[in-house]
Amino acid sequence: MTDFFDKLIQEEPYTQYTLDMFSRSAGKDHAEIKQFAKWRELVTGANKYTFEVPHLGAQTPEISVRRESGDEYDLVSFASYNYLGYSYHPEVIQGAKDALDHYGLGATGSPLLNGTFQIHKELEDGISDFFGQEDYGVSLFSSGYGANLGAISAFIHKGDHVVLDRSSHASLIDGAVLSQGKISLFRHNDAEFLEKVLKRIDYENSRILVCCEGVYSTDGDYGTLRDIIDVSKKYGAAVLVDEAHSLLVAGENGRGVCEEQDVLSEADMIIATFSKSFGGVGGCLYAKKKVTNYINYYARSRMFSCALDPGVTGGLIKAVELAGSADGDDRRKRISENADYLRSKLAGRVDIGTSSSWIIPVIYGDERLTLPLSDYLQKNGIDISLMTFPAVPKNKSRIRAFVTSEHTHEQLDVGAEAILKAAEEYNFLTE
Amino acid sequence: MKHTPSDDLIVWQFDFALTTFFEVETDQFHHHIPSRLSPMEVSPGIGLVNITAFNFPAGGMDGELPEFQELIFSVIVSPDLSRGVPKFAMYVLSLGSTCQEHLDHSADFYKLPIHGLLTDTKINREAIAIDYSDADGQIVAMNNCSPQTNFRDEERYFQAFTSDGDDLTIADCYIEAPLFEHQLTDNAGTLNLHPFLKNIDFDLGDPLPYLQMIGRPGDIGKQFYYRPSKF
Ligand SMILES: Cc1ncc(COP(=O)(O)O)c(C=O)c1O
Repeated sequence: MTDFFDKLIQEEPYTQYTLDMFSRSAGKDHAEIKQFAKWRELVTGANKYTFEVPHLGAQTPEISVRRESGDEYDLVSFASYNYLGYSYHPEVIQGAKDALDHYGLGATGSPLLNGTFQIHKELEDGISDFFGQEDYGVSLFSSGYGANLGAISAFIHKGDHVVLDRSSHASLIDGAVLSQGKISLFRHNDAEFLEKVLKRIDYENSRILVCCEGVYSTDGDYGTLRDIIDVSKKYGAAVLVDEAHSLLVAGENGRGVCEEQDVLSEADMIIATFSKSFGGVGGCLYAKKKVTNYINYYARSRMFSCALDPGVTGGLIKAVELAGSADGDDRRKRISENADYLRSKLAGRVDIGTSSSWIIPVIYGDERLTLPLSDYLQKNGIDISLMTFPAVPKNKSRIRAFVTSEHTHEQLDVGAEAILKAAEEYNFLTE
Repeated sequence: MKHTPSDDLIVWQFDFALTTFFEVETDQFHHHIPSRLSPMEVSPGIGLVNITAFNFPAGGMDGELPEFQELIFSVIVSPDLSRGVPKFAMYVLSLGSTCQEHLDHSADFYKLPIHGLLTDTKINREAIAIDYSDADGQIVAMNNCSPQTNFRDEERYFQAFTSDGDDLTIADCYIEAPLFEHQLTDNAGTLNLHPFLKNIDFDLGDPLPYLQMIGRPGDIGKQFYYRPSKF
């Protein structure tokens, strides 16, 4: 193996760098910009730059992309979060078109001032109805990132505490930073460790928000919400569950992992993003009405940013309606079957970690393989997301396959074959 | 990289190296680093400190030094990328050694902050573990916490910042050795509340290692450590 990497670094010198190495530089000059430019030039010069590759059509299971070099590839996509295929559903598109015709392109104002349209109210009602709980409300944001930023920072202030699962998404962490509360982390999905952290806080006198997720996109595993909520309540902490990767998909009725683990009425705040299973863009907080009313006023990312655009809002209303109907039931069944199918093709042959959802990681290990492997997979017919150090630990770099309800078995076969071929080529078969 | 012998370069040979980066709340050490440097954080409020233990066989500095053990404690900070792209940059907080001559030289040549003589240094090469103490008692017991090792022979570039009075200095340091790096988070030892470690309370956070780098015991590795210059 050492020979392999010696050769790799000699032939492809950019592989020895990870992105964190250019994150910042001490000193007056912006040396990080210069060094990053050098690195990017090396990668693009070798035609191995597989980030930001423009897609030439919708996020369907089969796509075409064009690299900076001009090379075009037809690929089976495992990289989009379009879990239920709603981004290109004809009724969703029609909903968007109708709203666009009626309301125009942009909301052109903050939701609190002049940017709220009747169609936003319809989306709020649609989401509330979808959950079906009394006295709950919805606070809309123009992204899921903004929803986490706004909800956490309006709820927590200097002197308070935010306690996050170590695998938390950047938007949860950034929300905690913006809040100026004291940040602590607990080991991933470890309620016992969480209890240790909570005990260290003066919990009887402190406001505490515990943040976790329904399904984690790094490992594709479920949050242990029941345990986390039980421990949090014991210490008087509120709980925020980010269902970005799970709402509409998990749970018998698509109400997320909170529904599946029967904690819907115990989670104090649920965050959804509309950029994944909803097929659009935007996000929301779902919580008790008096909480969402408050957040509507005090979340800075909502107050000082434009409301969701009407076209997308119209499409989202339709997506929620479909997800709550027999159509949603069918798609949930299909995505679960598809994920099991792909997992069965990969399990035992490559390391798929602890995945039990529609997000299937394949751990290839050494971060230096990331760019060559990404290039290889694209050239071998699949678009797939790679995650590498420091987002995951050293030697734990991984491919992540995002399965959708719309993949056919033939497309899943193409994915499995390409991954296994790559595993052979790059030496990460486990059998 | 080719290292040309000069008055500004000392080549140190070592036959044991164990280095661990630990996560610590930044608040606990921020006041020890100069304001021009900023700690690298793995997440907001969580920075990294580094503890490195070496064994240098006799013969260092043109045969002048006997065999000795060294312990370095530093904070990971933003590097100076105008000099190149290092794996890490450290701001050194404490240096300890079993050799007084080495300490004197390090203060003079490298401007390193000398903490004092180590009084008891045990190295277990088989387990890749150390246990180092000074007059104030045990400082650290540290062990490799990965069941498997996979050593790779390559050069790694680091930067070391130190304070020289009111000035800040920076030195380039290259390690050429078969090293194994991993990020498994298991028990990597005991870090005591000790002046060498600036009385940081490691039990406050998650005292698990963020990263370990380990030299293959018995193999001779080389450290090309250049004279620092003003930053
Ligand atoms: C867990 C989680 N929360 C929030 C977000 C942000 O969502 P959006 O894309 O809507 O900004 C993401 C996006 O990847 C996510 O994975």
